[in-house]
Amino acid sequence: MSGATERATAWVYRGVWGAMVRYLRVPDQPPGVPPGGGEVVRSVKPAAGFLRYLKLQFWVLLVIIDVCIIGPWVILLVVSPIAAAITAPVFWGVAIIPDIFAFVAIHVRYDTTYYIITERGVRIRRGVWLIHENTITFENVQNVEVKQGPLQRHYGISDVLIQTAGGGGSTGPHGEQSLSGHAGLLEGVDRAAELRDLIMSRALASRSAGLGDEHHERPTARGLSPAHLAVLRDIRAALS
Amino acid sequence: MARTRPAPAPFDPRSTTRPDEVLLRHYLFQSACSGPLFPIFFIGQYCRYVSLRYRFDDEGVWMAWGVLFKKEINLAYRRIQDINVTRGLIQRWLGLATVSVQTASGNSSAEMRIEGVLDADGLRDFLYTKMRGARGLDEEHAAHHPEAGDELLGLLTDIRDGVAALRERVETLEARP
Repeated sequence: MSGATERATAWVYRGVWGAMVRYLRVPDQPPGVPPGGGEVVRSVKPAAGFLRYLKLQFWVLLVIIDVCIIGPWVILLVVSPIAAAITAPVFWGVAIIPDIFAFVAIHVRYDTTYYIITERGVRIRRGVWLIHENTITFENVQNVEVKQGPLQRHYGISDVLIQTAGGGGSTGPHGEQSLSGHAGLLEGVDRAAELRDLIMSRALASRSAGLGDEHHERPTARGLSPAHLAVLRDIRAALS
Repeated sequence: MARTRPAPAPFDPRSTTRPDEVLLRHYLFQSACSGPLFPIFFIGQYCRYVSLRYRFDDEGVWMAWGVLFKKEINLAYRRIQDINVTRGLIQRWLGLATVSVQTASGNSSAEMRIEGVLDADGLRDFLYTKMRGARGLDEEHAAHHPEAGDELLGLLTDIRDGVAALRERVETLEARP
């Protein structure tokens, strides 16, 4: 691709993105950090390999589908060149226009995916039409799955699936977890082992089963809040 | 469509008992998508909107709806597993969001879907600070903003002030020759 073409595509993409932000109200900022204070926060995007992985899938599918569409047209061209000339715009339009949309959609999908990882939990945002934001604390994590196919291994990426308690997470036809049920999927991350260790260390540090909270809301005993204790200390100071 | 909307009022758990009026407009759009079945869908949605009630207290959240068939859901904050916020296109235009709260029960769909709260991020942060594993902010918050009308705190404050006044009086008496 020459420099001019690259600039032009970048310009078009910025336009698409601008229209999405303006009319589809797609947020152009990463999601907010869960409150908690004094935490190490990492904002992780899917790895660059994920984009290449999606594009490879795209090209493979594109060749298969377009051969199915253009193949009959080539046969028609041999049988009856006039009919082929008339129907050419239809065939080529059907073959090419969805490809352009799909290619842009890959970039849009990549750019609208955010993983915010804090010391206590993770927040995942994905989606364009329907924007999902899922927040999970590591305390509630039941198990962590790391999945990697041969192509993903080539690109150095993995899918990390964080599961919380509760059933019914239906699995899709390609093994992808439904986004709504008790799970958070970090797709296409390149430091999966590091993430897995972080999440599992958090889950192991918690001595509970991850089902509800055994601790009392406030650590001070007898239902006294820190404000109460402060006043009681003042009284002791006044008496001494 | 592209006009900037003023930021919604911050989420206040005490005063949130009803969904915002905008939710009815969202239901109207949703029902309109069903085409000829619009009246049937919209009557159902309208009943839901009219009867929808929320209550956020110290321990959990309660919601109820229904005119003919009533349903209510009780949920303790500490049992929350994960919080999903979803925003569809129409919801984004209207400034709405659906906050789905999941517990560890057996169904994959969310146990509670809170709709019609304008400051959905505020609601999510509120729920997040209440769910397990997200401690830290809560105690600080309580220390700096003791709840108004806390009887014990008022009593203690009175005692402290009384003791201070007493001490001052005793010191002035002792200082007198």
